[in-house]
Amino acid sequence: MTEFESACERDDAHCITCGDEGTAVRVLDAGEETVRCVDQDGVVHAIAVDLVGSVRPGDRLLAHAGVALTRLEGV
Amino acid sequence: MKFVDEFRNAQLGQALAGEILAVLEPGRHYKLMEVCGGHTHSIYKYGIDDLLPANVELVHGPGCPVCVIPMGRVDDGIAVARHEGVIFTCFGDMVRVPGSEYTLLDAKAQGADVRMVYSPLDALRIARENPDREVVFFAIGFETTAPSTALTLKRAKAEQIANFSCICNHVTIVPPLRALLESPDLRLDGFIGPGHVCTVVGARPFEFIPRQYGRPLVISGFEPLDVLQSIHLILRQLAEGRCEVENQYTRVVPREGNLRALEVMSEVFELRAHFEWRGLGFISQSALRLSDAYRQFDAEERFEVPGVRVADPKACQCGEVLKGVIKPWECKVFGTACTPEHAIGTCMVSPEGACAAYYNFGRFARERQAV
Repeated sequence: MTEFESACERDDAHCITCGDEGTAVRVLDAGEETVRCVDQDGVVHAIAVDLVGSVRPGDRLLAHAGVALTRLEGV
Repeated sequence: MKFVDEFRNAQLGQALAGEILAVLEPGRHYKLMEVCGGHTHSIYKYGIDDLLPANVELVHGPGCPVCVIPMGRVDDGIAVARHEGVIFTCFGDMVRVPGSEYTLLDAKAQGADVRMVYSPLDALRIARENPDREVVFFAIGFETTAPSTALTLKRAKAEQIANFSCICNHVTIVPPLRALLESPDLRLDGFIGPGHVCTVVGARPFEFIPRQYGRPLVISGFEPLDVLQSIHLILRQLAEGRCEVENQYTRVVPREGNLRALEVMSEVFELRAHFEWRGLGFISQSALRLSDAYRQFDAEERFEVPGVRVADPKACQCGEVLKGVIKPWECKVFGTACTPEHAIGTCMVSPEGACAAYYNFGRFARERQAV
């Protein structure tokens, strides 16, 4: 795996960033700007939550390119 | 895995395939376009097209952000990356997109400091950590990605980070769809709508498609059952004589989109008068540039760029693939001169590109049929 494949192509060589696709994450910290979130594979990311408002641990978000785009209500 | 496994259930998939069969009109051929490259990837990865009857044809749309970048813009990026002292940042797929002579990966091998980032916020962090270097982010993507660039630039302005700038190639999805609907080459019966673009813009921007062009659009998720259900919903609309924007992806997409994201985007960006799309040519008001309030972060003003329009290689038929006029395997160089390892066209570079998705997942079924 090259340097360029390692961080971006996590899903069977599928680049969710370049593919304009979001990924579901669960919030680990409370915050209003950048918080730690964990994705379905257990990978922890720093996610900016400015566009969805303040979050609490356990909230679920759809994130893309390091930024939360929407809350996943009831998911 | 909760909310993933349920949407990959094979039995439910077969049941949905049966329901699709039940709503078809005998003898009619249906041509549906999946707008988003993420859907193209899912269709080939999970063999969704194999579950569909022969008279339901899926056409791959222009929604892969890497695939629509023209070669001239790649050359502009490479020219900036080669400036003394520049740290050039971009998403992973972008480094392999061919310009007229080189890729950004070639430029890196030749000495340019090209770095892959997962988020524009990572590029901004690099700028904070390297105050004596110019850090440039090559921004690509539709309305899903534009908010992250906008938010990054807002933070850069608030923190007065002067060594950060951006080459803005963000595009919007509605103008190319309108261009496709106006195209005499292509007659479509309905659209599988871009689920994650709609988390930002909502459903309203797509309402002109049923209203003006009489075609249904179903906003769709990306798991295999999402795509199958969306196909069923489109075909059911056609069978019932309805034509509207329907939201299959209600667990993620609010009908009004993300108003805060739209507000940030309208502060940071403005529409370009024209932008060149690979294969589709120039489309007016189809792309974004930085607004006057953020012009200080525009790398195209900070650095000299060639700005030359470069014609695609003659052998490459990406344009026809992007317009859905031909299938990937009908391109003259598919799988021979053009492969994911040595891509001639952008549709073979990104895994979301129709050619790469078909090459990686779909071609074996077709080869089996031929045998």
